[in-house]
Amino acid sequence: MDEVLQQVAKLITEVVGPDFLLGVEITRDTTFSDDLGLESIEFVALADKLNAHYGVDLVAFLADMDIDEIMAMSVGRLVDHITARV
Amino acid sequence: MSRFLFVVPPLTGHVNPTASVGGELLARGHEVAWVGHPGTLKPLLPDNARIFPAIDDLLEADIRAKRERWLALRGMAVLKFFWEEFLIPLGHSMVPGVDAAVRAFQPDVIVADQQALAGPLVARNAGVPWVTSASTSAELVNPLRTMPKVDAWVRDLLHDFADGDIRFSELLVLVYSSAALVGQEFGDEVAFVGPALAHRVERVDFPWEWLVRGEETLGGQGARCVLVSLGTLNGPAGERFLGQALEALAGLDVRVVMVAEPRPAPPNVLMLPSVPQLALMPHLDAVVTHGGHNTVCEALAHGLPLVVAPIRDDQPTVAAQVVQAGAGVRLTYSRARAADIRSALESVLDEPEYAAAAGLVRESFLAAGGAAAAADRLEKVVAG
Repeated sequence: MDEVLQQVAKLITEVVGPDFLLGVEITRDTTFSDDLGLESIEFVALADKLNAHYGVDLVAFLADMDIDEIMAMSVGRLVDHITARV
Repeated sequence: MSRFLFVVPPLTGHVNPTASVGGELLARGHEVAWVGHPGTLKPLLPDNARIFPAIDDLLEADIRAKRERWLALRGMAVLKFFWEEFLIPLGHSMVPGVDAAVRAFQPDVIVADQQALAGPLVARNAGVPWVTSASTSAELVNPLRTMPKVDAWVRDLLHDFADGDIRFSELLVLVYSSAALVGQEFGDEVAFVGPALAHRVERVDFPWEWLVRGEETLGGQGARCVLVSLGTLNGPAGERFLGQALEALAGLDVRVVMVAEPRPAPPNVLMLPSVPQLALMPHLDAVVTHGGHNTVCEALAHGLPLVVAPIRDDQPTVAAQVVQAGAGVRLTYSRARAADIRSALESVLDEPEYAAAAGLVRESFLAAGGAAAAADRLEKVVAG
């Protein structure tokens, strides 16, 4: 589980660029919307990386969520999803 | 002759295309009126334009205050706020004014901006045909298609408001772009008329001598001129991008017109709070923008390549269209550094394929017909 969290944090850092995460530790509670402010193009890039690394479809994962769930979507929730799938 | 009523929100970008199309209808001898916020409308419309009030200054100030809060949001919270706190309440508050305007003006057709939901609602209740003025092409391709539950939530809000998806008229949807740029075909009711730029009124002053002086004294490379227009700044992220942009521009051999509140700037940058953007276009070599639909299409209508740093709303979709067309470079707004901005700008200025691609989009716009084509389609709606 920790391993997945570490890997997801690494992929996010690759997408966002390390400069913008200085001093920000990505934890299970980090939200994509508010904390990371992931832009749409970064979201697509992250989806590609997750797919390549885990074969997990981020778009399909989000397709099941309503707007409040997407707003609250955290790194931990993604990690759990990956752990359950892989 | 017929009567056309435009229903618009208090947002410049949404009024501008209707100013052009309305101007064309007036030139053809039709009766034309607008309903919305008079203070926003007056500077953008012809001198004798007939304006009905649906939004008073108090409500407009309230909308602006909301917009400030909205600009601080990120991610999906932007969309939630936009619908729940802005679009639906605005629709409700505009209903009485639009209703009164329809009774007084007796239009043959109501042309409702996509963000003026009161238009279709009042039109339907009054039995007047209504058409859509889509001031951005992004909604057409439904950016929410990959999030069906969010998409359904928007549709539910619209059904609660008006018992239907009133974002799109079944009679006519005017889109101020081209099928080539949007990259998709739609039904016959969707009219790609290209940017509507004729008859537009720009009442903003500009120090034209600054432009002329540069062209005369610098010549060649140094005479190249770039417009940087980033819309309303988005809090800290906006400050950051502006700082990086100024740093990037300082090292470049171009002259820059930047739309921003005055602040310290390098000597090659002329900073103004507002500019007559359309009148400036023929003097420019490239445009840096956050990807507002009007600015992007005005630039492309002049064959200008773009650097687009989209922030929110339809801007990522518009930026993707520009990149797909080969007419510009996309930057990440919240992270782009001075070096990224500089190299993007150098690319679009120095590599002729960007301007060539922008030229192709311009041709598709010219073929689309602009305000005249929009007026033709509107006349056909009256004719049935």
